Amino acid sequence: MTSPVLIRASALCVALMLSMVAGWLFIDFSAPGGLNWLDLLRAVLIVISSFWLCWGSAAGLLGLFVSRRTIAAPSATPLGMTAILVPIYNEDPVATFSRVAAMNRSIADLGFSDWFHFAILSDTTNLEIAAQEAVWFEHLLRESRAIGRIFYRRRSQNIGKKAGNVEDFIIHSGAAYDYALILDADSLMEGSTMVEMARRMQADPHLGLLQTLPKIINARSFFGRSMQFSSAYLSPAFARGSALMQGSEGPFWGHNAIVRITAFAANCGLPILSGKPPFGGHILSHDYVEAALLARAGWKVLLDPTLTGSFEEGPENLIEYAKRDRRWCQGNLQHRRLIGAPGLRWWNRFAFVQGIMAYMASPLWLLLLAASIGAAAMPNRTPWIMPSEQAENAVWSLVIGVTVLLILPKFLIFWRGVFDGENRKFGGTLRAIASVIAEVVFSTLSAPIMLMLQSRSVGQVLLGLDGGWPATKREQNHITLADAFAHSWWIMLFGLGTLLAAAVFAPSIMLWILPAMLPMVAAPLLIGAGSRTARHGRRTILFDTPTEQAPAPVMLERERILARWRAETLEPHYVVDVVGSPIAVEA
Amino acid sequence: MKYDSDISFANALPEAPMAMPKQKLERPRTFARTLRSMFAALAWF
Repeated sequence: MTSPVLIRASALCVALMLSMVAGWLFIDFSAPGGLNWLDLLRAVLIVISSFWLCWGSAAGLLGLFVSRRTIAAPSATPLGMTAILVPIYNEDPVATFSRVAAMNRSIADLGFSDWFHFAILSDTTNLEIAAQEAVWFEHLLRESRAIGRIFYRRRSQNIGKKAGNVEDFIIHSGAAYDYALILDADSLMEGSTMVEMARRMQADPHLGLLQTLPKIINARSFFGRSMQFSSAYLSPAFARGSALMQGSEGPFWGHNAIVRITAFAANCGLPILSGKPPFGGHILSHDYVEAALLARAGWKVLLDPTLTGSFEEGPENLIEYAKRDRRWCQGNLQHRRLIGAPGLRWWNRFAFVQGIMAYMASPLWLLLLAASIGAAAMPNRTPWIMPSEQAENAVWSLVIGVTVLLILPKFLIFWRGVFDGENRKFGGTLRAIASVIAEVVFSTLSAPIMLMLQSRSVGQVLLGLDGGWPATKREQNHITLADAFAHSWWIMLFGLGTLLAAAVFAPSIMLWILPAMLPMVAAPLLIGAGSRTARHGRRTILFDTPTEQAPAPVMLERERILARWRAETLEPHYVVDVVGSPIAVEA
Repeated sequence: MKYDSDISFANALPEAPMAMPKQKLERPRTFARTLRSMFAALAWF
């Protein structure tokens, strides 16, 4: 197998080379009118932005050449004791505990109950929800072989948030287990997947952490189903490419992963960073740091996208997505403090930079836009207005290049699916190509809105504003136009203001900024429309996924349990009211 | 006595303590670092 270092170096060289070409094309375009500081600034911004686009595409392209086949651990491998950790924070207990019940049954069906315990680790601060958790835990204990295997505890003070929650478990109960399979409240895993993960840990004594690629399930809105399709159809190729580059220094995404408890305990006790939040205090995006610390100590950290049966739920609309993104943004920018941490592998340091750039890219694109308007508005400059023929070709080459970088991997994934039959799982070739096109169009339209939301988040963090830890509102789908407007009026205003400014001061660049500004102006409409769900029972043409066509056994089991529990509830809407998210009772 | 944190249940988690030492992630402060932190906002550039 090719060394990950060689693959990284090659991808890095290609990305650097292509981004330099992008910068050169831009300078070539600007040269006929003479270069000034704004042109140079724009050239630098184009090089930086293009590099990260190339880097992202490289992972997708590499993933096309990696096999999807899973290499299973020998089935004779004895299992160690695994604690399945379910950290929760102001979640709907019926929804969460029904997942635990389904996973417990899935493991029991395989006859491996003795090796797997569940620990529901509550950090719930809402006392009404905490009381409901206690009630539903008693309910959960009626499950087969639950007594002595399914545990619940609640901390009244959520010190250290999720990382502190898991740490609290390890400090008090860690020595009773060999492995901890860390989940999120919305995670769901097949018993066979959990058994396979424990076997892999047992078979490889150097393996410290094994991360799966969770697929999004149960999405109902257009936005949610678009992400669900993307996670099932596109993400595996990108993840396989990333895994190839990462080698044994892979990522930890905080859930749907198994860790070796001795390694985790010895190396992943996170300190409180000096200073105040957002840059000081508890480490918010703890997972990447924990992965880096395991790698620092010489443990293997692997991502295996070929492991199936690992699921999670995702946000159903762009507003909920942005709330989660705000938290991640703060966590990733906080990693600035850790890039120089002693002893880390350079790849882990690069991963921190990558995480920071995932958010810093947005304000950089915005700066590029502002610089472009400024350059066009300057009276003594003419290249935007009267470019030479050669210059026109250069700028079009740049535009086409960026577009290709963004969409080429997605269409190549489709093309591969035509030949290896993967598209059949997504409703056939026609449905798959329609879904890919719809995903590209929808993500392109949403990109300027995300750019604004991320730029605001970055601005807030740099100004020292702590975003806190808002509870996730799961299963909240539809957003009214009024709500969408309330959340995005400022984006609309920015789009209109920029268009107006360009029309008055720099009309020559109107054509160039329209594709970014029009979605901003239509932000409330796009956010509202994206949150709409298909009519009940109506099959849509777009975004078919294997889990929609044939839900996994653990998904079906969870639906059965949830329906029964909801029906058994004397006051079915009580929990719903407490959590604040309307939940449809499914028959 | 089993570990129960704040709320106790008959099925409390096993009491099996394990040490989880805090890791060192920040380098000791030097004069240059102190100066730089005074201009933290500039460090982004």
